[in-house]
Order: sequence, then C-alpha cells, then structure tokens
Amino acid sequence: MSRARRVASEFRAAWYAFVRRRTAVFFTFFFPVIIILIFGALVRTQPTGGGIFAEPPGYYIPGYLAVVVLFTPLSRVGSTIARHREGNRFEKLATTPLRRWEWLLAQTLVNVVVIGLASLLLLGLTVLVTDAVVRVTPALLLLGPFVALGVAVFCGVGAILGYVTESQDGVIAASNTVALPLLFLSETFVTPDLLPSWFRPLMALSPLTYFSRGVRALTYDPTAGDVGLSLAVVAVLAAAFFVVGAYAIPRTD
Amino acid sequence: MTEALVAENVRKEYGDVVALDGVSLTVESGEVFGLIGPNGAGKTTLTRALTGTTRVDGEVRVLGDAPDAVDFQRVGLLPQSFSPAARLTARELVSYYAGLYDEARDPDAVLEDVGMADDAAVHYENLSGGQQRRTCVATALVNDPDVLFLDEPTTGIDPAGRRALWRLLDDLAAGGTTIFLTSHSMTEVERLADRVGLLSDGELVAVGTPASLVAEHGGTSRLVVRTDAGTDAVAGAGFPVEAADGELVFHDVDADDIGTVVARLDEDGVGYESLVWRQPGLEEVYLRLTGEQFEGAEATAVAAGTGGAR
Repeated sequence: MSRARRVASEFRAAWYAFVRRRTAVFFTFFFPVIIILIFGALVRTQPTGGGIFAEPPGYYIPGYLAVVVLFTPLSRVGSTIARHREGNRFEKLATTPLRRWEWLLAQTLVNVVVIGLASLLLLGLTVLVTDAVVRVTPALLLLGPFVALGVAVFCGVGAILGYVTESQDGVIAASNTVALPLLFLSETFVTPDLLPSWFRPLMALSPLTYFSRGVRALTYDPTAGDVGLSLAVVAVLAAAFFVVGAYAIPRTD
Repeated sequence: MTEALVAENVRKEYGDVVALDGVSLTVESGEVFGLIGPNGAGKTTLTRALTGTTRVDGEVRVLGDAPDAVDFQRVGLLPQSFSPAARLTARELVSYYAGLYDEARDPDAVLEDVGMADDAAVHYENLSGGQQRRTCVATALVNDPDVLFLDEPTTGIDPAGRRALWRLLDDLAAGGTTIFLTSHSMTEVERLADRVGLLSDGELVAVGTPASLVAEHGGTSRLVVRTDAGTDAVAGAGFPVEAADGELVFHDVDADDIGTVVARLDEDGVGYESLVWRQPGLEEVYLRLTGEQFEGAEATAVAAGTGGAR
C-alpha cells in the first residue's frame, strides 16, 4: 500500500508537471501528426514497385506509432532526469522512502498514458489521411500492450541517456542520435530489402524491430511476424531496460 | 542524550581537490548544530555525506544507522539550490512529498507553519524567491522528521520571513528535532545553533557553542570611528589602532572605555562622522579562523598607541 501511495504521488506530480507545460503537450502530439501529414499525405504512398514509401499505406502504421513510442519517452525521461539533477531533486528524493524503480515506474506510467492517447490520435489520423485500412480483429487489443511495453523499453533507455548525459541539451542530442537510426532501420518506414544484405541481421538488435513486426501483424498483414514472439521479446526487453534504467537513475552525486 | 549524527574521519576527494579532509563530529539528539565556512569549504559535501547522497571514506551514522539504511521517515532534507517542479502549486508540491511517506503532516498545516498558507494555490514558478524557499522548507518538514538537514534554508528570504522561519526552527528544536544547519548568515547561526562547527578547506577547524567560540577566537570589543584621520593622529591613545577604508578601529575597548577614547579624540582635535562600538561575534570568529580577516586593511598602517589610559 505504501508503495502504491508513493508511485501514485510521483505519478500525480509528473502528470501535472507535464500537462502544464503547454508547449511540451502541443509538440508531443504535433510532432507525429506532422510526420503523418508529410509522409502520408504530402509525399504519399505510391506503390511503384521500388523505392521508399512503395508499400501500401497500412504497412507504415507501425512506423507512425513508432515515432511516438520511440521519441517521446527517450526525450521526456532523459530531460526529466536532467531537470531533476539540475534542481538537486534526486538528492532530496534519496532521503525519502521512494525507490529509484518506483520513480521510473511512475514516469513510465505517465508516458504510457500520454503516448497511448497520442497513438490513438495517430491511428485515427493515419486511417483518415492515408487511406490505410486497419484489420479489426480481437487480437487488435494487443496493440495496447505493444505500445505500453514499447514505451517501457524506451523509458528505460531514456533513463540511461539521462544518466550518461549531464544536461538537457545533452539528452536531446543523445536522444536524436539514438532514435533516428532506430526509427529508420527497424522495419518501420524502410523495408529490409532496401538495405544491404549484410546489414539486415543487425535489424534484429533493435527493440523497435519487434514492435514493428508485432504491430504490423496485428494491424496490416498477419504474416508480417509472430505476434506472440514479438510481444514476448518486447516484454523481455522492457523488463531489462527498465531494470538497467532504474539502476542508472542518480542517487548520489 | 544520544548521538543523532556521527561523522568519523570523513574524507572526500573530487579528483585532485580534497573537499573533506578527515572531518569528525557528533551531533546530539535534539541539538541544533550550525555549520559555517567559506564557499567551497565543504559544507554541502559534509551535508551530503551525512545524508548519504555522496560516497565518502570514513564512517557516518544517522540515528545509529548508515545514511542509506536509516528510516527515511525520520529524516528531512532541504538541499542547497533545491529547485522542485515549477508548475506545481505550493500545496501540490508539499502534498507530493507528503505522499512519499507512510505518515505525513497535513500539507496545509505545514504551509501555514512556514507562512505560505495564503499562497498555497500559486504555482511555484510564480512565487517570489523567498516564498519559493519557504515552500522548499515545507517539503523538508512534511514528514515531521527527527533529524532535519537544512542547507542554507533562508537564502533569498526577506528579514521578516527569516525571523518567522527562525521561530519555527526554535519550536522544532524545542520539540526535540535535531537540526543540522548550514548557513552563510552568522546572525542566523548565532541565533539558532547550540553548537557551531567551522569548516575551512575541508577541515573542521573549530567546534563549540557560539559563546565559547567567540570567547576563544572572536577577539575583543572595538570602537570603530568614521574619520579621515590616520593612526598618527591618535598615537598614544592607549589602545591598539588600525586604519582602513576611512575608519579608525580601536581594539580592546570595553563599554566603559568609550568615553576615554572620545575624550582622547577631542584632545587630539580629530574630527569624526560617527562612532560605533562592536562586541565580537561569530563573524569575527569566522574571519579570524578562515584567514579572511581585515583583508582590506593589510595595505594600511597598523599602529598601537603606548601610554595613555590603559
């Protein structure tokens, strides 16, 4: 009960801190929207048998969702840690009963809610703007766990980046350095056949690849991947990165 | 009395810089201990050592346990330069920290204690500097701690607010709370602390009650005369005299001797704007023991009179 009380208290504070930063809220939702508008409506998917965006619109649903699942937790958790360090907030928290993993859990839950809402918006917008057709089956409910676990993965990574970097500027630079390659090299927007054969095995190292395969199998093409296996891999990675991320959260100077 | 805080031969290095060099001290339960020292002397590092937020060599115990094993319910901390979430209200901030403990005081009552009841609904970023600091103090009090660490708690608080906070700390101390206070305000430390420790270059160079430190290291009372005259004009006044920044400072002048000095000034025809008699305080102790005393007077002549009244 005490633990739930602590996590709830941290969640409330983190939630208020986020929703009252209007520019942060705006760009959290605007960034993925503009990606869809650029690539889904402006560039448009044009199946011509080759090149980027040559697949039908539904293929890119995991990519659009990955934009928020990847970027938002990385930058938010990383910069939150930087802000906490700069304000000596961890120094104070270290003398309270709140554990580091409880802090990260609360931050992760805030991100799950924020990104869950953004994902719903994205999914609706993708269908509306790009003519993508989503396969509606009972298994589509697994989209929730995929998004939640994907967010947990990158909250953990964001915590690690927050530990490694020393400022909010550093976090932003590091987040972009990590996120951009992952976004385009994880079977999201770029199909594997467009990449050199020697590189393709490396895609298996990206957590986002399993997110893409699973979400694609759920929403577009059931043969795109094994949903259960993809979900299991994302879950294991979420647990692993969460543990490492929690350990990386500063307790001392 | 039991020991609330113990540091034994605590040493901390940051690269080549020695922040703490074998510091040992004990703070008894219910005691208010004031830590003073110049910037960079190691005050915050010692506070962090005692709260377990920096790793040090040596032994540290808080309420009988290692700092990271202590019951956190019993500890409160206001870190130096603490900056909580800016877009929470004062009430939300205190409630947030209250929610981290199994048992906590009513946040509104704590805000009332620090004089923030009327501004409890204002976002932290919209509070004045003094109000922000008082809100931060409230976050350290919300769990009703047995040991309270306050690292420069009154920085930025106006005189009235500072005195209100001092009264609150008096009440806490009277209720048995152990307070470990660092400050650059000698008035504050002299007013609040049962004992004072002076850190200089990472070493604890003096520990004692304010009165004992002043008696031992504070020097004597003095009369400060605002005048253009130099020490030559008052040679033979009978008291050690030094000149600095348009002032003549007569040392070892007791209250009963003021008339003697004034008479001497009149006899010598020395005009002056004002006279101020000062008793030694913690500031003199600080200046003497940290080697920062009378830096402005080093280039001026120092003369001691001979003969005369004493």
